[in-house]
Amino acid sequence: MAGTVHVVDDDASFRTAVERRLKKAGYSVATYASARQLLDHLPDESQPGCILLDVRIPDLSGPQLQDRLGKLGSTLPIVFLTGYADVRTTVQAIKAGAEDFLTKPVSSEHLLRVVEQAMERHEASRWVKQKLDTLRELLDTLTPRERQVFEGVVQGKINKQIGRELGTTERTIKAHRHQVMEKMKVRSLAELVSIAERVGMLRGEENTPVSG
Amino acid sequence: MALRGLIVGLFALLAPTDLPAGEARSRSILVLDQSDMRGSFNHQIFAAFQAEVGSHSRSNFTVYAEDLDLERFSGEDYESTLQKMLSAKYRDKPVEVLVVIGECALRVVLRWRDELWPGIPVVFTMVDEADFRRLKPPPDVTGSIVGVKLADSIIAARAVVPDLASVYIVGDAWDRQTVFKNWREEVASAASDLHVVELMGGTLTELRQRVSELPERSAIIYSSMHFDGEGTSLRAGAALSRIAEKANRPIVVAAETLLSPGGVGGYVLLPSVIGAEAGRLVLRIIDGGKLVDIPPKAIEAVAPIFNWGQMERWGVRESDLPPGSEIRFRDATFWDEYRWQTLAVIAVILIQAALISILLHERRRRSDAEFEAHQRLSELAHVGRRATAGELSSSIAHELNQPLGAILTNAETAELILESPSPDLAELKDIVADIRRDDQRASEVIHRLRSFLRRTPFELRDVDLNDIMREVFDFLAAQAAASNVVLYFNAFPEALPIKGDAVQLQQVILNLVVNSIEAMSAMPYGRAVIGRTDLNGGTSAIVSISDFGPGIPSKGFNEIFDPFFTTKKQGMGIGLSIARTIIQAHKGQIWAENQAEGGAVFRLSLPLALH
Repeated sequence: MAGTVHVVDDDASFRTAVERRLKKAGYSVATYASARQLLDHLPDESQPGCILLDVRIPDLSGPQLQDRLGKLGSTLPIVFLTGYADVRTTVQAIKAGAEDFLTKPVSSEHLLRVVEQAMERHEASRWVKQKLDTLRELLDTLTPRERQVFEGVVQGKINKQIGRELGTTERTIKAHRHQVMEKMKVRSLAELVSIAERVGMLRGEENTPVSG
Repeated sequence: MALRGLIVGLFALLAPTDLPAGEARSRSILVLDQSDMRGSFNHQIFAAFQAEVGSHSRSNFTVYAEDLDLERFSGEDYESTLQKMLSAKYRDKPVEVLVVIGECALRVVLRWRDELWPGIPVVFTMVDEADFRRLKPPPDVTGSIVGVKLADSIIAARAVVPDLASVYIVGDAWDRQTVFKNWREEVASAASDLHVVELMGGTLTELRQRVSELPERSAIIYSSMHFDGEGTSLRAGAALSRIAEKANRPIVVAAETLLSPGGVGGYVLLPSVIGAEAGRLVLRIIDGGKLVDIPPKAIEAVAPIFNWGQMERWGVRESDLPPGSEIRFRDATFWDEYRWQTLAVIAVILIQAALISILLHERRRRSDAEFEAHQRLSELAHVGRRATAGELSSSIAHELNQPLGAILTNAETAELILESPSPDLAELKDIVADIRRDDQRASEVIHRLRSFLRRTPFELRDVDLNDIMREVFDFLAAQAAASNVVLYFNAFPEALPIKGDAVQLQQVILNLVVNSIEAMSAMPYGRAVIGRTDLNGGTSAIVSISDFGPGIPSKGFNEIFDPFFTTKKQGMGIGLSIARTIIQAHKGQIWAENQAEGGAVFRLSLPLALH
């Protein structure tokens, strides 16, 4: 799978070598000498990509950059590369969601395999995100009242019950419910529940503003 | 009142003439010399006599002296005139002791005595044994019998001329001789195996001619000469010097006063001994000694004395001289003149040499000890570096794996290119160049590590403190980055030349920086280590390493440089103690402080190498 590999390493020589090899394997490569450079030019995530990150880089350390990118909503998988892997740093990085943890010198075969995996994962997560974004867009078209009705329906409440809670008639709810199905482009209740689950409406209150 | 004063003054004026009794109590000594006391020999006798008498505690004597001059003047008329003169001259001078010098004088005194000085004790000297026996002085006459033998002069002549065959005796005619006249009888016995020529009584002119033509293996023996045979009378010394002018052989003499006018030496009469002895005898008599207790006695007034200048002239060896000989007029050698000074200087030099050798020995021992100490320090420092290297292992691995990683990737890329049907040679070239560079980098890391870990002997070289600091800060950059610590180095703008062991100094600085990095591990932000070099006056350089950590606990301030003192969880506590040992070996100092704004600062001062 083609894509862009973002190489963050303060060692120019290593950057060049890796860039050369990855390009041979058909990837496009962007190189950064420091964490700051990467943060200043945040990668476009519309294309599949991954970050190849040295643990020891100027400004911020690898794990710190990982943390920052996560907060910025980046989905780019991070593959750590290090000259010397101490257990503490490795565990910390993996826990924080590192794609893999490689030790220099690393064979091209191993590196390419890991990069390819990372690309696929990014592709997958990108697809999921894309779907989710579409759903969220559809969700945003609902009026507040429709949203309330939507929430009630996916929680398994009957129309009468929803009508009572919202202080309106069962008939009005029925009309809203039809409108919701229409806007969300679903034909069954099961599909509606599935969407609600994917956008996280069923997991808790925090992601689902019940009242606008 | 005035009248009385005048009378007293008159009495005082009249007093000396008015006291004949006082005059009678004064004591007199009369010295009668048969010759002329203006001659140096007789003068020395008189001088020594006077000195001896004058040294007496009751030296209130009047010493009168008369030259009878009996060597040059003789005859009944002369002698009776002399007697009359003395009788008249000393009529009112009661003489207590008569001193008589010479056989002729003794002879006339013995004749005049009953008339002129009845019962007055007589002390004679310069009378030889033969004359003494002939004159037979009465018991109230005492004195010193002084002999001078021809035999002694022959011994001296043999010493001066070892292969002596003949001697020439020169002087006035025998019948005019006084002191030496008895030699005449002695000639046959004293010089039986020698050819003896008597050149007596001739004119000085003839004699001068004669002594200039003497054969080899001969010597001249000078007796005494007062007449030149042409009507001129002269002193013995003057005659000798005129003879010596012409003589072609050494001249043996028999009086001390004849050494300087040209005598080579011999058994010589010593006038000072003769005069002093006469003085002693006079004092004994004056002190009440009975004459019976002081019989006439022969005294030893002769000593072998030689003239250095003449010895040189005639080639006389000192070893040939009679035992106990004294040499006069020798140019004092340096040794003779400065014996004590020379000994003192030699002693000082010897003591100094001993001190120097002791000091050199001490220095040697000291340098051995220093060498030993440096050896120990090198080993200790090595242990310290190994410990530090262990702590830095992650940093080292990182530094090494960085180029190795690049090399591997590049190599594999190259393989890939080579597999393609038309390899891109330009790119391959780049790759190979990169591989080469990374390989060098890796070997540099290894080299640096090895030189850091090498067991090197302590060696002082000219180094720049800035270079040493810079290398350490570069070396630790990776380690610092891994710990999220920023290293700053503010170098003094000029070189700071010191004499030091670069590896060990780097070890000290590295140790301080690593400590600082570790001290800040719990800090959330602002982790930095600042290194500085600076001049401290004109004689030393200062290095400071400061951090922003918690600082040094106050209770540990005094102990941080002690061995096995540590504040770290995993520390042996040897780093700073080794650092201090190293800095002390560089004649420097190391100390620690807490900064007012927080954090610790370690400083070390090292003496600048001045050119």
